[in-house]
Amino acid sequence: MSDTLFNYADPQVAEPVGIELQAIRPDIAHSHRQIWRQLARPGCWWSGPERTAIAQESRNARHCPACVERKSALSPDAPTGPHNATTDLPDVVVDTVHRITTDPSRLSAAWLSRINEEGLTTEAYVELLGIIVAVISIDGFHRALGLPLEPLPAAESGEASGYRPPGAKDSGAWVPTVQPEDAGPNESDLYPGGRTGNVISAMSLVPDAVRMLITLSDAHYIPMHCVPVPGDNGGRALTRSQIELIAGRVSSISECFY
Amino acid sequence: MLRVSHDVDEASTDVDLSALVGADRDSSGVSAGSELIAFAEAALGDDATTIRAARDSVKEALGTAAMIDAAGIIANFQRMVRIADGTGIPLDPTVAAMTADLRAQLGINQYGSAGNTPTPTLIGRVLAKVAGPFLPRLLKARKRRPAS
Repeated sequence: MSDTLFNYADPQVAEPVGIELQAIRPDIAHSHRQIWRQLARPGCWWSGPERTAIAQESRNARHCPACVERKSALSPDAPTGPHNATTDLPDVVVDTVHRITTDPSRLSAAWLSRINEEGLTTEAYVELLGIIVAVISIDGFHRALGLPLEPLPAAESGEASGYRPPGAKDSGAWVPTVQPEDAGPNESDLYPGGRTGNVISAMSLVPDAVRMLITLSDAHYIPMHCVPVPGDNGGRALTRSQIELIAGRVSSISECFY
Repeated sequence: MLRVSHDVDEASTDVDLSALVGADRDSSGVSAGSELIAFAEAALGDDATTIRAARDSVKEALGTAAMIDAAGIIANFQRMVRIADGTGIPLDPTVAAMTADLRAQLGINQYGSAGNTPTPTLIGRVLAKVAGPFLPRLLKARKRRPAS
């Protein structure tokens, strides 16, 4: 995949929105390219074409009339019209992607059980979640800066690996997770220092989803080792309190308790 | 983390966390807090004109690099909230202990996902009351990483 992707130094991209050339940190562009490469490849539970289709449905959801209807309904289970799907993913997958994208604060354990019964396994759900959140955040960065969205990558062929970490178990979330003490050789890179927060281990049922999260968090937020240290801004142009003010406001608008 | 970082960054002013839940944007006590909150609010919407105005205000107040970093933070937490809400993770016990009073004060215990964190036992509540005030100090005692 060439570096013409996420080429923020391209005057045709940056100048129309008034951003000085080279102002976007190279590590941000690098992380976005890395995610696009991972997105195109087969994962543990989805093929490359399925993964890019999930990404496409997440983009579709932002303009989906059925999602607007559901968001304004008293119950997230209220019947709505069909989604504006453009992929051949099964209905349960399309609905799950749209729901995570547009109405995440009303997801529930009961809902996850229902979609399990409809055939979407918890493992496949976690990988799907990892794809959606990566695309949402990269697209969110572009929207915040007024940049056009990057075209999705061309999918690579190949089979999903079916890998499930042997150390995954119930840790109080809706989905099994791998805690640092249960990480096997294939997961030994996930938690440097042997400690982590629940939001980092949340998607560890699919270790690559955690790797994607760390790649993006290191670029969008601050490097992981800086996170627990008050006042450490990871070398950003904002102070840590300015960073946490933004983080808190975004979480509050999204009604996220965590 | 905002509270303890503010003590490090801007110890001469008080931080008002009610700005996080939609109170007066100007009241946060964080430098350029009003511009940063307005940018976060705009960027979660779809109005390109509002987003651009908010972005320009941050750029004017703090410069281009800070504006781009702010866009990164906004992007990051659009991801993190969905991970938390999509997996039903409970609050980490230390954070739960440190923020019990704050969550009640800000009303965030009313959020739907609050149910993912079990109500602390009586012993847990007592321990949180006793140890809670000291935890921010312990965090602040962590040494900053050396400058590279």
